[in-house]
Amino acid sequence: MSLESFLFEALKIIFFPGFVFIFILALFYEWFDRKFYAKLQNRVGPLYAGPLGILQPLADFIKLLSKEDIVPKGVDKVLFTATPLFSLSLSIFATLLLPIFSVKGLLSFEGDLVIAVVLLTFLCIITFFAGVASYNRFSIIGAERSFLQLIGYEIPLMISVISVALNAQSVTISSIVSSQKGLWYILGPNILGFIVFIFAAQAELERIPFDLPEAEQELIAGWNIDYTGRRLAMFRLAKNIELVFLCGLAAALFLGGPLGPVVSGYEPILYTIYFIIKSIFVLAILTIVRALFARLRIDQIVSLSWKYLLPLAIIQFLIVRLMI
Amino acid sequence: MILGLISWARKRSPWIAHFCTGSCNACDIEILACLTPRYDIERFGAIVRGSIRHADILLVTGPVTRQVRDRLLRIYEQMPEPKYVVAVGTCAISGGVYRNSYNIYPGVDSVIPVTAYISGCPVKPENIINGLSFLLKKIGESE
Ligand code: SF4
Repeated sequence: MSLESFLFEALKIIFFPGFVFIFILALFYEWFDRKFYAKLQNRVGPLYAGPLGILQPLADFIKLLSKEDIVPKGVDKVLFTATPLFSLSLSIFATLLLPIFSVKGLLSFEGDLVIAVVLLTFLCIITFFAGVASYNRFSIIGAERSFLQLIGYEIPLMISVISVALNAQSVTISSIVSSQKGLWYILGPNILGFIVFIFAAQAELERIPFDLPEAEQELIAGWNIDYTGRRLAMFRLAKNIELVFLCGLAAALFLGGPLGPVVSGYEPILYTIYFIIKSIFVLAILTIVRALFARLRIDQIVSLSWKYLLPLAIIQFLIVRLMI
Repeated sequence: MILGLISWARKRSPWIAHFCTGSCNACDIEILACLTPRYDIERFGAIVRGSIRHADILLVTGPVTRQVRDRLLRIYEQMPEPKYVVAVGTCAISGGVYRNSYNIYPGVDSVIPVTAYISGCPVKPENIINGLSFLLKKIGESE
C-alpha cells in the first residue's frame, strides 16, 4: 500500500465516516431526540447551549468528563473500569459496519449482518455486567431486568432481521442495501418486520416504554446508579452511538440505506445526506414511541414480546418465505 | 481554553437531584412544576436525575429534622465534586414555621454548606428559576 492511500484510509477511519463523524452524529441525535421529545410534550427543550441548544449533549459530555470520578468501596474494580470502555468500543465498532457514505460500510465483509446482531447482544450483556459490578441492590435489579428484557425482544429482533436477509438472499449489509435499488424493503413485504424492529430497538436502547433497567421512579437510576464522571460520560456516549447504530441499521435494512437519486461525481456526499435523513426518520419514530407510551411492567414486556412481537415476526418470515 | 470550555459546560448542564428532608410537600410540588411545559427548566439543560451520583446540584426542601440529618450528610457526601446545594423554601433556609422546635435544625446551612437560598412558602417556580440562573452565574464566575 502506498503512503498516500494509507493516509487516506487513516483519515477515513479517524474523521469521516470514522470516529469524529460518529461522535458528532451521536451528539446530534441525542439533541434531536431531546428537542423533538420536548416539542411533543409542548415544552421547549434545551435552548441556551449553542443555537437552539444544539450543543447541549456536548456540554453534558464535557461536564461529566470534568467531574470527580468516584469508585465506591466494595465495587468490583476491574469490571467497574472495564465495562464503560467495552461498551463504548463495541458500539463504535458496530457503527463502522453501517453503510454511510457508500453502499459498503467502512468495515464490510461477508456476513457482517450477523456480527451486527451479535454486537447488540454483547452490548446488553455488558450492561448486565456493569450493573453487577457496582454491587448495589438497585443496580443488580436493573441488570437482571435488562437480561429479562433481552429474553423478550432478542428473538423477534433476530427473526425480523433474518427475514430481510432471506429477502435479499444474503447476510452481508452491503448486498442487502444494493438489492434495494428497485424497491425499499419497508414498501416491499417487510413492513411488519420494520414494526418489530422498531419495538425491539426501543427495548435494546432501554427507552420508554421499555426503560425498566433504569426505571427512575423504582430503581433510582438502575444499572448505572454508581457510575460518575468519566465512566458515566462513556456510558451515555455509548448509548447515543448505539442509537445511531440502530437507526442506521433500520435505515439500511428497511429504507434502502444510503440509496437515492444521485448526481454522478457527488455520490459520497449525497449518500451521506440520504443516510442521515433516513436514519433521522427512524429516530423520529423512536422518539414518538417514547413520547406516546408509559412504562410497562417486566411481565408485560415479556408477554408483549412473546404474544405479539414474536408471532408478528414469524408471520413476516412466512410472508417473505412464500414470496420468493 | 480547556478551563473555559469546562466552565462553559458546567454552566450549561446543571443536573439536579431533589431531596426532601420532611417538608410539607408544597415546595416539592413547585419544583415539579418547574419541569412542566409552562416553566421547563430543561431550557437551561437541567435534568432531574434520580441518582445522587449523577447530580451537580442538590435541591433541599423542608426543615432538617434530627432524624434526617445523617441521611442528608450521607447523600451530600455521595455527590461527586463540584457540588452545589440549594436550600428551597423558608423551612430549608431557617426552619420556617417549625423554627425553635426541639427536633429541628435552624436551616440546611447548619448541616451542609449551601450555595444559594430560594425563599418563599411555598416557593414560586419563577423564583426557583431565578435562583437557578443566579447559581449558574455564580458557577461561571467561580471557575
Ligand atoms: S417552606 Fe412552606 S411550603 Fe415549603 S416546605 Fe416549608 S412550610 Fe411547606
